[in-house]
Amino acid sequence: MFYISMFFQYVAQYMKTRLEYRADLIVEIFSDLLFQAVNLIFILVVFDHTEFLNGWSRDEIIFIYGFFLVPYALFSSFFNIWDFNERYIVKGELDRILTRPIHSLFQIILERMELESLFGAVTGLAVMFYAGSRLGLEVSWSDPLLFVVFVLGGVLVYAGIFVMIACISFWADARTSIMPMMYNIGNYGRYPVDIYNNVIRFVLTWILPFAFVGVYPAAYFLGRDEWYGYSFLTPVIGLVFFSLSVFIWNEGVKRYRGAGN
Amino acid sequence: MDKYIEMIRIRFLMMLAYRTNYYTGILIYSINIGAYYFLWNAIYGGKSEIEGLSAIQMTTYVAVAWMARAFYFNNIDREMATEIKEGKVAVELIRPYNYLGMKTMQGLGEGIFRLFFFSMPGMVIVALIFPIEFSADAATWGLFAISIVLSFLINTQLNLLTGITTFFLYNNTGLIRAKRVLIDLFSGLLLPISFFPGWAQEIMGFLPFQGISYIPSMIFTNGFTGSEAVEGLIIQAAWVLILVIPVQVLWVIAKKQLIIQGG
Amino acid sequence: MNAIEVNGLRKEFKAYSSRSGLSGAFRDLFTRNYKIVPAVNDINFTVKQGEMVGYIGENGAGKSTTIKMLTGILTPTSGSVIVNGMNPHRERERFVQTIGVVFGQRSQLWWDIAVQESFRLLKKVYKVSDADYNEHMDHVIKTLDLEPLLDKPVRKLSLGQRMRCELAAALIHNPPLLFLDEPTIGLDVLVKLKIREFLKEINEKYNTTILLTTHDLTDIEALCERVVMLDEGNIIYDGALKSLKERWGEGKEISFEFLEKAELNHLETLTGDLDIKWELDERKQIFTAVTGDDEEIVSQVIARTVAAYKVRDVKINEPSTEEIIRNIYDKGMLQHG
Repeated sequence: MFYISMFFQYVAQYMKTRLEYRADLIVEIFSDLLFQAVNLIFILVVFDHTEFLNGWSRDEIIFIYGFFLVPYALFSSFFNIWDFNERYIVKGELDRILTRPIHSLFQIILERMELESLFGAVTGLAVMFYAGSRLGLEVSWSDPLLFVVFVLGGVLVYAGIFVMIACISFWADARTSIMPMMYNIGNYGRYPVDIYNNVIRFVLTWILPFAFVGVYPAAYFLGRDEWYGYSFLTPVIGLVFFSLSVFIWNEGVKRYRGAGN
Repeated sequence: MDKYIEMIRIRFLMMLAYRTNYYTGILIYSINIGAYYFLWNAIYGGKSEIEGLSAIQMTTYVAVAWMARAFYFNNIDREMATEIKEGKVAVELIRPYNYLGMKTMQGLGEGIFRLFFFSMPGMVIVALIFPIEFSADAATWGLFAISIVLSFLINTQLNLLTGITTFFLYNNTGLIRAKRVLIDLFSGLLLPISFFPGWAQEIMGFLPFQGISYIPSMIFTNGFTGSEAVEGLIIQAAWVLILVIPVQVLWVIAKKQLIIQGG
Repeated sequence: MNAIEVNGLRKEFKAYSSRSGLSGAFRDLFTRNYKIVPAVNDINFTVKQGEMVGYIGENGAGKSTTIKMLTGILTPTSGSVIVNGMNPHRERERFVQTIGVVFGQRSQLWWDIAVQESFRLLKKVYKVSDADYNEHMDHVIKTLDLEPLLDKPVRKLSLGQRMRCELAAALIHNPPLLFLDEPTIGLDVLVKLKIREFLKEINEKYNTTILLTTHDLTDIEALCERVVMLDEGNIIYDGALKSLKERWGEGKEISFEFLEKAELNHLETLTGDLDIKWELDERKQIFTAVTGDDEEIVSQVIARTVAAYKVRDVKINEPSTEEIIRNIYDKGMLQHG
């Protein structure tokens, strides 16, 4: 309860500061849109040269991409921890965090949120509805419910992976430029994993389970019943990875060495 | 000149210091190329060639494009933005060197480091796992070497440009990100430019971005040979020269602004 | 009741050393040299509720490492820390509710929002009721003279203004224990005085325990009766500031300026039976007698000298705390522990 009320306190503050720099806000939303457009262009250009991707049609791939954008938008709104090492470890901001009576990870989430990224979810829904209507998909009563569950699962998968990477900073003096590369790998979960060989498929399913943020849950709505098992695993994998990451985080905070020296 | 070389060396040492980065970097690079390899195989789906490139050439193209990116890519625009915002740039300006030159050298130091300790071993690992075609022709390698140096220069100049805009905009992180996304697409990193529809190709022909990734990668995969390759190098060199103008003009204006506002 | 109890507290860090040159850096890629350095070396001390303690030491003596362990930021390598009856790191979230922390070089406030918004947010963070907040903070805001600053964003405040706000922010939940790490660094004298006065006041009013680290020993002289002195991770002195001065203040210095020409050996024979030493600044012609603390000797020296020569000026100097402490560090210190 306390955490929920804190969340809204921070959101209110965030809105106040953001509205001060409206120009920035617009540029940022624009660059987000650009980023989403580039990925869409990639798909469109590729399908100029081929009909099917391992049996998946253009609209199906676009649908998966649209689905992916929703959990991804939520993730990037709240888990802005790609510069965790520089900001909190090197500059010692974690000292301040640790002297306040709220869980440290939760505080960082609150401090670093970027709500404008939520617009990505709108784009995502629009893309899904466009592709869905071209594919003639029906919406049943349970679909919105499962959609929410799958999206939340996807967010937790993404969050879990990136929190774990941030945790590396507690043990090693690594600058986390692993982070940007990880964003790249995240993209491969948007394509049907059956196009990859077993190793990569295994990695994307069980090690860095990005496939649960794209193709697996989306396959359910596309009616690809051979993937249903994986679809329903989405929230489970999300919970497992996120809990694990929080556990590692808590262990890491014990090893925090402080800044300076 | 000595001080610039020293700057390259220092950057080199800095990069070496972050070793966890270095190991995981190679691993992730390999996974990256691997994923692209399968993606492209699926796109080819048995077709022998698309737009004059065979599936193997395409894999090579992707591998080389990412390897070249490790060399030409740098964050000096973001670094400049921080230095300007924190007011450190004023200190840099009173030092006895050319600030932009120094930034370029830092980028080069980083680039050389990644080329030797990151791209090359990464490339060897990828070549062991996936079918990649290396040219046996020394001339191709020579042209490729010149070409990636030019692409480094073009990309760095564009970074300097976006970096300098910090003087005029309070916050340009959005702009920097937008630039990066555009370069990934228009430089031919994600897709060879020849894959785009004709009208899009024509527009891109007027932009400097193709000189960053498309030209060196095509030279390496023998997609460009002989006169085509030379023509590509000329286009790159021309862009290097053209871009000097906006960089210098903006820099002069920015310095004036700095004097007036006092940083 | 003890606010802080520290037993055998130790913190070790791994210090990596890089090999020199390019080939060295390359070898560092595979194996790295390091040694284990104790930043805090088995220290013990207790602080009673309501005490104001100065925690001093040179840079790297282990001050901030100790503070960070006391506030729950760092986990000790060994030993025990009990602060406000809790283990700071293990029960962090409950524990920090009972302390206030000010880091002089790091802001607790949100950069972009107005000061009062920061306060309001912290009020929620620390679950302070409206009634408590109003009663307590009205007073704090008045004493620190913050009213005109409340609606300004933090980034527009001067350093002195910001420090006053930081102090207020650390006190929003009226904690029984306050840690201040270099709270007056870079501030002008007036702000310093105001902050000191304020600290004394809350100490009296709420019996707040205050642990203070600072480079500025006048802070400590103004506030603390007790100092804990640290060197290379060891406590080298723990006790009253007064007895530190008595034990280590090395007597007094009496400087004379004469109207006529004086001779050093004449002065020396004049006071030959007293246990003192004469020194001469030849350029300025200032003669200085270095004496012990015996007041009888001091007055004897003055009496005899004034009788022999016409005097333009006499000064009696006691070494300042700063000089005493400098002395202690220079002489490598007494017995450790």
